[in-house]
Amino acid sequence: MLEATNALGNAVLSTGGTLTDPSAAAALAVGLAALGAGYAERGIGSAAVGAMAEDDDLFVNGLILTVLPETIVILALVVVFIV
Amino acid sequence: MSAAGSSNPEFVVARVRARRGQLYGDEEYRKLVRMTPAEIARFMEESSYETEINALGSRHGGVDLIEYALNANLAKQFEGILDWSEGALYDLIARYLRKFDAWNVKTVIRGVYTGASQEEIESDLIRAGEFDDRRIRRLLEADSIDAVVETLEDTIYGDPLREAYAEYEESDVLVPLENAVDRVFYERLLENLPGGEPIRQYEAFLKAEVDFRNATNALRLARSGAEIDPAEYFIEGGELFTRDTLARLARNVDELVEYIAESGYADQLGPALRELEEANSLIAFEHATDAALLAYGDRLGTVHPVSVTPVISYILAKEREVENIRAIARGKEAGLSADDIESELVIT
Repeated sequence: MLEATNALGNAVLSTGGTLTDPSAAAALAVGLAALGAGYAERGIGSAAVGAMAEDDDLFVNGLILTVLPETIVILALVVVFIV
Repeated sequence: MSAAGSSNPEFVVARVRARRGQLYGDEEYRKLVRMTPAEIARFMEESSYETEINALGSRHGGVDLIEYALNANLAKQFEGILDWSEGALYDLIARYLRKFDAWNVKTVIRGVYTGASQEEIESDLIRAGEFDDRRIRRLLEADSIDAVVETLEDTIYGDPLREAYAEYEESDVLVPLENAVDRVFYERLLENLPGGEPIRQYEAFLKAEVDFRNATNALRLARSGAEIDPAEYFIEGGELFTRDTLARLARNVDELVEYIAESGYADQLGPALRELEEANSLIAFEHATDAALLAYGDRLGTVHPVSVTPVISYILAKEREVENIRAIARGKEAGLSADDIESELVIT
């Protein structure tokens, strides 16, 4: 993980781009939003699987609730089109 | 599964909440009270007790079948909860479920003392605690109390039981051994709790339980008028009593009732205390403490939805259900009327 970050930093530096570049900042925004969505889905997903283990009928509800935080990423994607 | 790693309250709470929905409500109890034991067994077979009733149906019948099915189901559900939970959550739940270990140890000791057969003892055990099957088998195979104490040597009960055993040998009464087991359970219950707001609430709840246990014990002692030192039965960790106040108050019922009425539990226990003064009925008081604990647990479960508290609230509710059904079945067997049985139930 850490080596990958270093490699990424080197790549960014060698191509001359910086993180203050608008498109880089937009990419970062989407990435962070995705991270947040992932964290939210972790809790919801494990609760949904627990509920499904007790009652199979909850599969659809569980699925919908689990992917609900994906909307955050979609909203964050708007930023990419604005910049 | 184990106490290592991070905890998974979301998963456990979701499952527990689903199970909670399957518990019997007012409606079902009203039906059950009007049934014969055979009908109760059939009713249970159609609900969440199906597997147990079917498994035990060929060997037992009537009220025994209901009783064993209830115990088996309780054990299965609680073992399940321990299986699912991980990390700190496992530790917190195991603390509470150790009360079944304590129950099992006491049952085995009593069984050995009265010379009951291995099968008789086994049918009274509730395998919901932390002891695995191997240890329980070894406990059952023990043919003397000394052997029981030896089997438990490497558990938390080892040293206290060893000490109590010396006392038992002198006096030949089981009280020191049973007290030792109970005391270890309650000490472990409140020891080294981790930080955090839900845990503080959980601790307050456990303390309330200890307080109620102390209050009930003291009331029983005070009313029986027996010449037993109340301090012997005192359980550490509660907020309401200290060893000295309990010893002093247990001599006089009126003072004790007044003391409880002026404490922080007055709101929950007030009506029951009045009834205690008027009708002299301890049962109402015990039911009131049970109902108060249940309500307390429920409230905590909603205040901190993703923590250990909903799990504890379910454990309490499940235990209550088992006790209610048992009371109905036993009451029916003894020929009590539906109204009498209903007054024995604790329904929230």
